[in-house]
Amino acid sequence: MVPLFDHNALIVAIARSGDRNAFAKLFDHFAPRVKGLLMKAGTPAELAEEVAQETLLTVWRKAALFDPSKASAGTWISTIARNLRIDIARRETRSRLSQVYEIIDEDGPEQPDMAVWGAERDLRIRAAMTELSPDQYRAVELAFLEGLSHQDVAKQLAIPLGTVKSRLRLAMSHLRGRLEDLR
Amino acid sequence: MSAAHRPSDETLAAFATGRLDEGLALVVATHLERDASSRRRMRSFQSVQGALLDGAEPVAMSIRATDVLARERDAAVMVEPGHSPETGLPRVLQPYTLGPWRPIGIGIAMRKVDVAGAEARVFMLRAGAGVALPHHKHSGLEWTTILSGAYEHQYGRYAAGDFDEADSEHEHTPRVDPVEGCTCIAAVTGDVLFQGWLGRLLQPLVRL
Repeated sequence: MVPLFDHNALIVAIARSGDRNAFAKLFDHFAPRVKGLLMKAGTPAELAEEVAQETLLTVWRKAALFDPSKASAGTWISTIARNLRIDIARRETRSRLSQVYEIIDEDGPEQPDMAVWGAERDLRIRAAMTELSPDQYRAVELAFLEGLSHQDVAKQLAIPLGTVKSRLRLAMSHLRGRLEDLR
Repeated sequence: MSAAHRPSDETLAAFATGRLDEGLALVVATHLERDASSRRRMRSFQSVQGALLDGAEPVAMSIRATDVLARERDAAVMVEPGHSPETGLPRVLQPYTLGPWRPIGIGIAMRKVDVAGAEARVFMLRAGAGVALPHHKHSGLEWTTILSGAYEHQYGRYAAGDFDEADSEHEHTPRVDPVEGCTCIAAVTGDVLFQGWLGRLLQPLVRL
């Protein structure tokens, strides 16, 4: 697997010099993953393809706004994909939700010493995710990717609600434990 | 602003995925705009999504990177039609159209927030000092963010910035702060069922 900082560097290269080669590398890595993730969460293939293309095109356009101290490439790209999926899926209903996310993601009155917090957080969460059991990972996927309620996760996996709650509780406490000394 | 009542992990995770009903999401966003601690929690959840993206199974694209960039040259520039935002409102409400305040009882006024495509109905509620809102229960969800002042019910005191997450198991009689009054924004799914004669009078009005 390519180390994280390489992806960050590719986005920075696009921002600095419109580096098409860097874009091709980013596209080849992330576009098929955005598509795969969306399809796994039940998005039809055609829509997933469209969102994946638009996501990478947005990375190209907004590369100058990428701040590697706030979030890693993967986290930044996943929020872009989320907003575009909302826009595209809810086109007919005049949804304003992606604008709401943009307002929330603007810099709030956070403490100035949090400048590197985001990058470090992302590294630790990635590491912690690889330590989850497959059962915990699947429950996290359903809750954090598909936004399912605990009740619906239980239905999907055909396991009792209490089991879902304890798997997610264990997973969350593991993730939180890894972030503890960060705040 | 630091709140005492915050969204559950379940709610914040659903918000972070973008799959929450837009009306419910807007009330969560109003809380997030005011609460740095909840924002930080939500960003950790976005970080989980980033980690899931890195670990995702790739599915082949039907187009190459160079073809996507070629399209960029003739992409139209989209400009959002802007309108000057009303001052004093949460920023997350700026993209939406709000109705006028209308009185719905003594000391209580309501204002509709038009959220197209949402299942939940969204409204702002303003109640004078000491007003007791009619005793009610829900058939669905009632999520509330307090914008100013405070109210209190059997689950605690909710002040500016707090998020109140009630479901169909809750039955309550909120009492508005005797000095400050209370302004809040709420999203409701299903029906709000008022009890008593005052409640029956209010029932048709809150259907929006």
